[in-house]
Amino acid sequence: MYKFLFIFIAALSVLFTVELLIPVQTYVIQPFTTGLATVSAAIITPFDENVISSGRILRDAVGGFAVSIESGCNGVEATIVLLAGVLAFPAALRQKLIAIGLGFVAIQALNIVRIISLFYLGQWNYTIFEWFHLYLWPVLIMLDVLIVFALYLRWLATRDESSVEQASGHA
Amino acid sequence: MRDIAFRQQFLTTLLLMPLTFLLWYAAGPALTYPATMVAGVALEAWLPSVVAEVFTEGTELYVVTHFADVNGNIVAATQADHEIAFKLNTRLVSYGVPFYAALLWSSRVDSLVGRFSLGLFVLWSLMALGLIAMVAKDLMLVIGDPFLSLNSVPPTPAIGLAYQTSVLLIPSLAPVVVWLFQLRDTPLWRQVADQLESSRSSE
Repeated sequence: MYKFLFIFIAALSVLFTVELLIPVQTYVIQPFTTGLATVSAAIITPFDENVISSGRILRDAVGGFAVSIESGCNGVEATIVLLAGVLAFPAALRQKLIAIGLGFVAIQALNIVRIISLFYLGQWNYTIFEWFHLYLWPVLIMLDVLIVFALYLRWLATRDESSVEQASGHA
Repeated sequence: MRDIAFRQQFLTTLLLMPLTFLLWYAAGPALTYPATMVAGVALEAWLPSVVAEVFTEGTELYVVTHFADVNGNIVAATQADHEIAFKLNTRLVSYGVPFYAALLWSSRVDSLVGRFSLGLFVLWSLMALGLIAMVAKDLMLVIGDPFLSLNSVPPTPAIGLAYQTSVLLIPSLAPVVVWLFQLRDTPLWRQVADQLESSRSSE
């Protein structure tokens, strides 16, 4: 267990440092964050035609309220935490890749819910927007990571059990 | 059985969170006081030539410096009629406490009060470090050279990294790590540890 913790913290430190490098920010993180704003706008537009996305900014054309998706709001840190956990836990490469792929989708799906909810909360009540933005959503996203990782462990355990059963069946 | 325990843990955590966040909000500065006190003492001891005073008002931490801004130039406060001060929102580093409380209180563990006290102590320590990193980032950006040229000050990338880690990662991740560590000796922990062992041996 201590080996897992050591690898987890080492992977987390390396990935988090790499994420903050200027070239990574310029060529990976910022285009990705812009993509998140575009996807969020595309989801909202069928229900609310006044929403415009421009770069990392999501804006209400009528009211003028806008949110800019910054570091910490793009789900990248949460994805890094999951990535570090999956890398640290021994499993086959294929299993790790599946966990990372599905985990990324699960985190970003909730993150888009976060962005859209903040966009409307901000137009409704700024104090509540601040509360959700600064305190509640970061925790909910981390809880999402924890649930994804727990599901991954359960999936690994189920596969282990079924392979043991198959092996004893052949014997 | 395992599924029930798993669902119960996370559902109870979600249900408890409104209550723990309400308690955290109502407690105001009381829940952050040990961290702000340690951060204040550490900052005054670490940077006596930069930091004049650190004090709290409610959940805000105020850091008064020995410097002033005169026409865009940073000068000693003695050469001006004012001092540069920073106001920090301590809730930015303390919102992990209600999350941790919800995680722990929804777990089936013994000596809950003892575990919670120990976990809170760890979180306070990390909160104090986080506040110091936040102040260092502000000093780096606003005061600049008089702060950065001190021998005891780390290089700017280290300050930036410490700040980003303290604000973006630690407040939400630390509660999970502390909680997981405190699950030692519980059936859930043993199950994961056994799985780790079996996975390693099959590699």
